[in-house]
Amino acid sequence: MLQIDRIQPSFFEASACTHSELWLQRIDVEPGERIQIQAPSGSGKTSLTHFLYGIRKEYVGNIRYDQVDARSMDADAWADLRREKLAIVFQDMRLFAEPTLRTNFEIKRQLTHQHPETVIEQWSRRLGIDHRLDTPAKLCSYGEQQRASIIRALLQPFCWLLLDEPFSHLDDANAKKAMDLILEESERQGAAVLLADLEIVPQYPRTRLLRLLA
Amino acid sequence: MKQPSFHIIKPLLLSGERSASRWFSFVGLGIGVLLLLLAQQLFIDIQALVKQTSIRKNGFDYISVTKQITNDNMGRDNRFSSTDLDTLRQQPFIQGAAPLISNRFEVVATAGDQIPFASDIFLEALETDFIDTVPPNFNWQPDQPIVPLIFSSDFLEMYNVFAPSYGLPQLSMETASNVIIGLRCEGQKGAQVFRGQIVAFSDRINSLLVPKSFMDWANETLEGLPSANASRVYLKTLDANSPDLLNFLAQKNYRVNKEKTAFGRSKQILQGVIAGLGIFGVLVVALALLLFSFYLQLMVARSRDNLQLLLILGYRPDWLSRQVARRFVPVYFVVVAVALGVTQLLQYLFHQVIMFNRPELSSWLDPSIWITAGVLIGLSIATNWRMVRKLLYGIS
Repeated sequence: MLQIDRIQPSFFEASACTHSELWLQRIDVEPGERIQIQAPSGSGKTSLTHFLYGIRKEYVGNIRYDQVDARSMDADAWADLRREKLAIVFQDMRLFAEPTLRTNFEIKRQLTHQHPETVIEQWSRRLGIDHRLDTPAKLCSYGEQQRASIIRALLQPFCWLLLDEPFSHLDDANAKKAMDLILEESERQGAAVLLADLEIVPQYPRTRLLRLLA
Repeated sequence: MKQPSFHIIKPLLLSGERSASRWFSFVGLGIGVLLLLLAQQLFIDIQALVKQTSIRKNGFDYISVTKQITNDNMGRDNRFSSTDLDTLRQQPFIQGAAPLISNRFEVVATAGDQIPFASDIFLEALETDFIDTVPPNFNWQPDQPIVPLIFSSDFLEMYNVFAPSYGLPQLSMETASNVIIGLRCEGQKGAQVFRGQIVAFSDRINSLLVPKSFMDWANETLEGLPSANASRVYLKTLDANSPDLLNFLAQKNYRVNKEKTAFGRSKQILQGVIAGLGIFGVLVVALALLLFSFYLQLMVARSRDNLQLLLILGYRPDWLSRQVARRFVPVYFVVVAVALGVTQLLQYLFHQVIMFNRPELSSWLDPSIWITAGVLIGLSIATNWRMVRKLLYGIS
């Protein structure tokens, strides 16, 4: 279970968090939950995602994965968690620029061999980027990179999937396809999904809505 | 758990791959290792070459002094009195003084039937601490028929020079050691025949040495007199070339046997030069490793974004550092193997071409050189791995 225990960015004034449904609250994320975090610009949405993923630590309060305090985890423990249980789609995609999309996928897939190689072709076709598989990531459009970033996140085993504005560069039709793939794979794995976005995403079948700044 | 393939992420770490600093560091490492191995091998060679002629023992120089015989003191007693010995021992630059005690009875040596040789000789005795080669059987007790002897190797050489002219056979050290020498000792109070056997050869002491217990017993028993004052004294000193010592001896009008001291000094200087070469080799190895660590830092700095992303995706820093470090292991093996090969070639040429008549040397490297090479490979790999690990944990 993921426990977000009264956390707050240390660079925020305490008064800025008083009406938040997440900051300074105790949130227990159950397996299979679909949480939508709605947050306007500057309310700490990306910071929250980074706190949960362990790449930033400027917060007070505690984050616990399966009862283990995130602060006590060393670099190797974080690597294990990210490889086996925690997946993410970054707002800024974070693909390797020079390698092709296929290589980007393989770098993630070969970490665990959770899926066979054929899944890459299959999912790329579903999201409409199969013709770009052998193109360097830096030559792909933001929309293509965003879809690639989603596929890469799903190529591993996970109990929690963090999505930071995952459809910001996609039209509705492509966002729908991506959403379907995300839900299908997270349901198959029984994972909880935390989707953070500026607005409420209507096609996301959330089980809980948390407004970062109410 | 199935491990990810390094092959797929290898291109992400190759930024700066063709860096000149990497090649400089490998060449530097090769030169440093070569210097180090060569110095070690040369040190061992020199030890082997001068082993039999060393005048140093336990870190001390041993020199013999006599009183200078001049026209003024001729005819007087020029032996060292106990006061002279005490004065010598009190000097801060002298760590010990031992008189070379002579026989007071007559001694005639014969070499048995096979070598028709007989001569009046003299015997001397010295504290064993001052003798360079003391075998365990160099001792004597009354009733012991065989008297062990330590013979000057210079005397044997002199004997071999004049022996053919007198129709006598030349002797090797081994043969001379097997010859039983008849020792007829005769004094005021009686005569006795002993059998003498050479148990060792001394490069330092030009004399025929017997155990001190034998000398004291024979002087007392055969001549009825205690051992007399000595005309030659051996000094034990940290530095036989110390100006204080030389000034003191000159002031006292003592004559020093300098020849062997000079030889000992040359050996010391040579060893110093070789040790210097070795230290230089160590420095070059250290510099090469330092340069390589700069190269690694550069490589990690240039690949920082990619490495960081790999860590974010779930690659363990532990696994990554092992993979990165492992890539250089074959290079280290090749560099050290080449240096080892060159050292072996030079040692072979040194023995076969320059020192071809020295059986105490070997054409092959000493086993310790292989151990040093192994240690250097291990050291390079460990330094490398620690550096990469530190850098990767730093950015994770």
